[in-house]
Amino acid sequence: MTMTHQATGRPLPAPDESSSPYWEAAARHVLALARCSRCESLTIPPGQTCPHCGSTDPAFAFVPVSGRGTVRSWTVVRQSFLPGFDADLPYLLVDVELAEQPGLRMIGRLLDGPDAPVRVGAPVDVAFEDVAPGVAVPAFELGAARDGEAGE
Amino acid sequence: MSGRFAASNKVALAGYAQSMVQRHADRPLGALAVDTARRAIADAGLELKDVDGIVAASLFPTAGSHAVQDGVSTVTAGWMAEHLGAEPRYVAGFQGIGQVSGAMALAVNTVAGGAADHVLFYRALHNPRGSYHGNTMQTIDGPQQYTAPAGYFGPLAMIALPYNEYLQRYGATRESMAAVLVEARKNGSRIPWSYWHGKPLTAEEYLASPTLVDPVCRYDCDIPVDGVAAFVVTSAERARDLPHKPVYVSGYAHSAPPPRRLPVHWPLDDIMDGGAETARRLWEHAGVGPDEVDLPQLYDGFSPFIWFWLEVLGFCPAGEAHRFVQDGRIDGDRPGGLPVLSGGGALGNGRMHGIPQMLECYLQLAGRAGERQRPKATVGVACQSSPHYGGAVVYSAEPF
Repeated sequence: MTMTHQATGRPLPAPDESSSPYWEAAARHVLALARCSRCESLTIPPGQTCPHCGSTDPAFAFVPVSGRGTVRSWTVVRQSFLPGFDADLPYLLVDVELAEQPGLRMIGRLLDGPDAPVRVGAPVDVAFEDVAPGVAVPAFELGAARDGEAGE
Repeated sequence: MSGRFAASNKVALAGYAQSMVQRHADRPLGALAVDTARRAIADAGLELKDVDGIVAASLFPTAGSHAVQDGVSTVTAGWMAEHLGAEPRYVAGFQGIGQVSGAMALAVNTVAGGAADHVLFYRALHNPRGSYHGNTMQTIDGPQQYTAPAGYFGPLAMIALPYNEYLQRYGATRESMAAVLVEARKNGSRIPWSYWHGKPLTAEEYLASPTLVDPVCRYDCDIPVDGVAAFVVTSAERARDLPHKPVYVSGYAHSAPPPRRLPVHWPLDDIMDGGAETARRLWEHAGVGPDEVDLPQLYDGFSPFIWFWLEVLGFCPAGEAHRFVQDGRIDGDRPGGLPVLSGGGALGNGRMHGIPQMLECYLQLAGRAGERQRPKATVGVACQSSPHYGGAVVYSAEPF
């Protein structure tokens, strides 16, 4: 399921030198994360140094990831503190541990809706919201249970 | 380096002042801060000329789109130095983790190191007009571009995720949080300067409040206010010659740098693992343990922090805090109740950051709590912020 919002009025990301590959991939509905060229660990968000090996020259390269993950927590947002979200309320956000690396966590919208049967340990797959022409925001949707990933 | 604080119980609080805590003060924050500072200095039996140090934390803790203006929405140590009328030789602002505990540690070190003899320590909090955390941003840059475009933004969502993670992990419900709010507001209702003076809250009122960012409702969040508190910090030796009974600083701890995450992303394990290290540092530094503490003032800017601090400080086992707070076990009026919110906390006073915790430690240990004076108060802990992203200070009525 991919929802389409054209000109929602939601604030849009302002890609910069370090993040533009992330948003270019997202626009193609591909989740790509920063990988340190020294230790090959994935990081989100990429900063000035690598949080894993400490390199001050991590030369992050964005690489596609599976987009599969496990729900660690969630919340239903009923009041927004940002403009442009009121039409979406209530919406559900999931805190997801991605399959690629222990402790690699992302937060995104669960596109199954605010009443989705979410639980800790539920498998999810990346999905995308098209929020403006050429701009897609990574999100998630509930996936089928997978061996070794479902449950706590 | 590790072990007991080299200056344990050698520095003390000698006096204080607390402004009224209001939604909107009728005077500029800077003016309120100068008045409160001068009152604290007088309370300590000192004159302006005696104050030779000023230390403060001045973070304006908002996600909203407010301009930060010194003397209006915040009061830095530098601003205070220009306006107080003293001639300090040491002026410093704290920039690390844990605003009140961190700045207090800086003030203590200033005295212990001999940089100043009488340090003015204060915290001034402001509630701007309009939405406190509401932000009108149209584009999102920096690290927030990885979260806010999806609608993950601000401190309510920040605490909602680990709060729900706790509920799910331990089979708890938000009904178990009512006892925390009832206790905070009961104690706050007895405090003359509190925004919530005379306004206790019932469990029914709490549970009837709709959630804003599940499972967080408005009462789980401290209310933004204008308010200032100030203290005088000096050596234990000098404090013994001043009018009030000194309250000694036994030790303090800052949280270790937390794991690098998305903005305002605080997974429960980060909070509890980091908090365990904060507690370990605290007990080692102060030379006491939880069994010796009879006045644990836990931080409660968001209500779940009470559960988290109870567990990391060792007052109850992991996963048990939601049960521990029931049946009067944190009722400060009940013999044997652990008075974790006897000062009302931030939920019972207003968003004064860690001030209500610190002030309750001072008032009770100095024997200055008036009608609220507890029969036994010997060792207090004043906590600040999240256990993994804050700190704590141990205060004692007697040096040991």
